[in-house]
Amino acid sequence: MRRAVVVVGLLLLLLAVGFFLGLRVGSIDTSFQTIVNAFLNYDAQDTAHYSIVHLRLPRLLLAFLTGASLAFAGYLMQALVNNALADPYLLGTASGASLGASLSFFFFADLTFLGLYLPPFFALAGSFLVTLVVVVLGSRRGQLIPSQMLLVGIALSSLLTALVSLIMFLSDSESQLKSVVFWSMGGFEKADWSNLGYPATALVLALVLFFFLQRHLNVLLLGADRAETLGVDVRAIRWVMLVTVSVVTGFAVAFSGPVGFVGLMVPHITRALLGTTNRFNLLACALAGGVFLVGCDLISRLLYPPVGLPVGIITSFFGVPFFVYLLRRKNYRFS
Amino acid sequence: MRKPAAPAASGKHTVTDDLGRKVSLPVKPRRILALAPSMTEMLFAVADTATIIARTQNCDYPAAVLTKPVVINYPMDYERLLALKPEVVFATEGIISLETAAQIEKLGIPVYYQAYDSVSDVLRGLRDLGKLLQQEPKANALADSLQNQLNQLVAGAATSSHKPTVLAITWRDPIYVYGRNTLFTDKLRYAGGQNAVKDVFAQAYPALTREYILQINPEVVLGGSFDQLEKTFFSLYPELRRITAYRQKRIFPVDDDLMSRPSPRVVESIQELKRTLR
Repeated sequence: MRRAVVVVGLLLLLLAVGFFLGLRVGSIDTSFQTIVNAFLNYDAQDTAHYSIVHLRLPRLLLAFLTGASLAFAGYLMQALVNNALADPYLLGTASGASLGASLSFFFFADLTFLGLYLPPFFALAGSFLVTLVVVVLGSRRGQLIPSQMLLVGIALSSLLTALVSLIMFLSDSESQLKSVVFWSMGGFEKADWSNLGYPATALVLALVLFFFLQRHLNVLLLGADRAETLGVDVRAIRWVMLVTVSVVTGFAVAFSGPVGFVGLMVPHITRALLGTTNRFNLLACALAGGVFLVGCDLISRLLYPPVGLPVGIITSFFGVPFFVYLLRRKNYRFS
Repeated sequence: MRKPAAPAASGKHTVTDDLGRKVSLPVKPRRILALAPSMTEMLFAVADTATIIARTQNCDYPAAVLTKPVVINYPMDYERLLALKPEVVFATEGIISLETAAQIEKLGIPVYYQAYDSVSDVLRGLRDLGKLLQQEPKANALADSLQNQLNQLVAGAATSSHKPTVLAITWRDPIYVYGRNTLFTDKLRYAGGQNAVKDVFAQAYPALTREYILQINPEVVLGGSFDQLEKTFFSLYPELRRITAYRQKRIFPVDDDLMSRPSPRVVESIQELKRTLR
């Protein structure tokens, strides 16, 4: 408990620092005083104030929500298939979203649907459709078979990735190619107050739900048979986890693109810091994922202003050494 | 440009192209082609058109080019290129990579590059092609005529004191624009405007953030009519409705090919820009 408080406290402190720096960094020079004024004496005519409130803050929040969602979904996924190498994209969410987004970039570039910008809409539809197919093919008689689901997910992802490559190859527009490439590496430039509600709602509901189901997850890590003997309804909890992972990941990917590394690594980092059965693991995992992506986005914008490097590059670059260090410590166990 | 060496016995001479590469070409090439639409326009303006043996899938100007067979330049169709037996291939920096050029040269076909940082580079390019293709009188007459038109434009531009800042958008997601280090910046100078993008980025056509665009606050936006961009661009980035160009409705379409190609139509594109900015 005390360790959890320290870790969560530290993460909150890092988040505060990340948000403060994130609000300062941009094309327009911004002092600490300007940030304070932007919130206390907002002047709509002041471009710096406007940028802080309407561009930088939503961007930071989207980065946080995406990181938190992916880390949280990764944690659930690893428990669901009881495999340390699982990540939220194993259900085909990322490849489905990529195919959806690619289709919208190439075939409906100038269309809007009911005033909606299409790529996130298509990405979301793609991720849910593919997840549905993976679940149907990965289960028998209503019984999820994690190993089969995992293999189907990987196979289907390969197929969809090939389809995306085919669409890109057949394209004769360099700009459309750039759209897909940019989208597929993840980023938060299109963050907007209007599109934060979906991932935020999905994540908060999921966090509350699994705060109460945390014990079941820990038991599930012991293996399905032992969990059954300990009174856990494995079949029911697996379905709840599956729906949660696909919804949370789908919304995160739709608005930010499939950011890599976070969903796979952050759950391990949290376990390494708190142990495998701490009841604050999920909360800390979401928080750590959010802090991590806020930091990565900040680094990306500092390294390559103004637009920033694709955040997926930064996540791997800075995350891997830390991750390897944690794994090399003697006391880390997956389950 | 290169200093042609004395013609070799084989009827070849070695010249230096705009990238500083030594290229061995026939003194009077009979079978030529260009691997970029802008370069095809250059060749059609200068060369004997009977010597132009092919075009790329994107070459569409002048209309006469459409009668030529097509060679795909991305991905490069080397077999087709070899079958066409060109004596020299003309390329433009940024369109054809040096790796591709090396591959073509392995097939025994010399690749000659031109590069343009300014409008005067394009005119110099025309004169250079005239020398290489033994068409100097034709090329020089065209370059002189274009230079005269430019001089008149400069004289006209000097009378207006305010030079509006112009942002030219090439793609909307992410937002790609004509950067500082493109021919477009020089064209604007002749047209009486200035590129709103002040920084030189690594890419000629950089991606920008909404905040950057708010900061530079362009007075004119090119890339589509007001109604088009309202539907496809400003609805996606409502924050950008604050910029002066939007508030004053100074948002205009331009002919993309005309604007982006460094070709003999460079002066025509400057005149279009000038009309637009007026």
